[in-house]
Amino acid sequence: MIEIGMIVLSVIFIIGGIFFFTTATIGLLRFPDFFARLHATGKGDTLAVLLCLIGLAVYEGVSLTGLKIVFIAVFMALAQPTATHAISRAALRRGIQPWTKGEDKK
Amino acid sequence: MNQFFIGAGMGISVLVLLVLYRVVFGPGVYNRIAAISAIGTKTLIILLIMGFVFHRVDMFVDISMVYALLNFIGCVAVAKYLEMES
Amino acid sequence: MVRQSDDIIIGTVARMLVPFIQLFALYVIMHGHYSPGGGFQGGVILGASLVLLLITHGLPETKKLISEKGVAILSSLGVLIYAGIGLLCLILLGNFLDYSQLSKILQVMPAEARSLGILGIETGVGLTVMAVMFSIFLDISTGGVLPEDEEE
Repeated sequence: MIEIGMIVLSVIFIIGGIFFFTTATIGLLRFPDFFARLHATGKGDTLAVLLCLIGLAVYEGVSLTGLKIVFIAVFMALAQPTATHAISRAALRRGIQPWTKGEDKK
Repeated sequence: MNQFFIGAGMGISVLVLLVLYRVVFGPGVYNRIAAISAIGTKTLIILLIMGFVFHRVDMFVDISMVYALLNFIGCVAVAKYLEMES
Repeated sequence: MVRQSDDIIIGTVARMLVPFIQLFALYVIMHGHYSPGGGFQGGVILGASLVLLLITHGLPETKKLISEKGVAILSSLGVLIYAGIGLLCLILLGNFLDYSQLSKILQVMPAEARSLGILGIETGVGLTVMAVMFSIFLDISTGGVLPEDEEE
């Protein structure tokens, strides 16, 4: 009984993760400006990876590999926003301007 | 449960192919770097799902952790290089 | 000791993550015969942690941590460990790198002596690979000209 509950919970988490991956990819393709695309991939991808990893850890159960998957999730939650910040800082320093409404699509 | 994992892996692979459009056609180098970071994140999940399909999770967990590390260090290094005045 | 860095967010996160990256690299070296890993892979991850410190804090701050002389000493130390273990097996009346002769001085079974011998040379390989990775990155990033030479 408990086993079926854990499997259902992990399936729910993984499907939620795939949903956020899809919306982040659509945002990366369709947004009009570089900084908007960085918003989509920086936030959406991080949340999707966290949900997927938690789902896989719940499926594995309480063991050494489950703990290692939780470590990967903590590392991702710390490192992905830092990488996004590094890219956006480099772009702002070199003079890329944000897009305002009324301009053409870049 | 095996079929579900294989289906999820194929779905994320299709998303990787969609992001490749931004790598090839992105105007400028910054779009390409953001897209490559996204591809690295999705690859990490595909590796872990493959570990569950082959019933050898403890081998693939180490590999995916190293890949997460390398993705982060590579992204920060390229961003630092692009910030320098030429 | 507080170190200056270019950006406060990236510097803080890098300083927080580097000890755990090095701990994971030590785990990869030790578990070479169970899981993917070994000496060379662990050495590369150790070198990558030093490169992360270099790109976030700049060259003069990292020089306070490891000087060029220290890098040269570390790489030679790794090769010394590798050749030293091989020579020790030669002195104990065996072939070169014949670890079963180590059971004479360690008082264990020959099979366990082989396992300990392999662990020893993997550690030496990891040390050398870390030092050489850091040195190559230093050479490429400064163009072979040190700031002390430039001032003259």
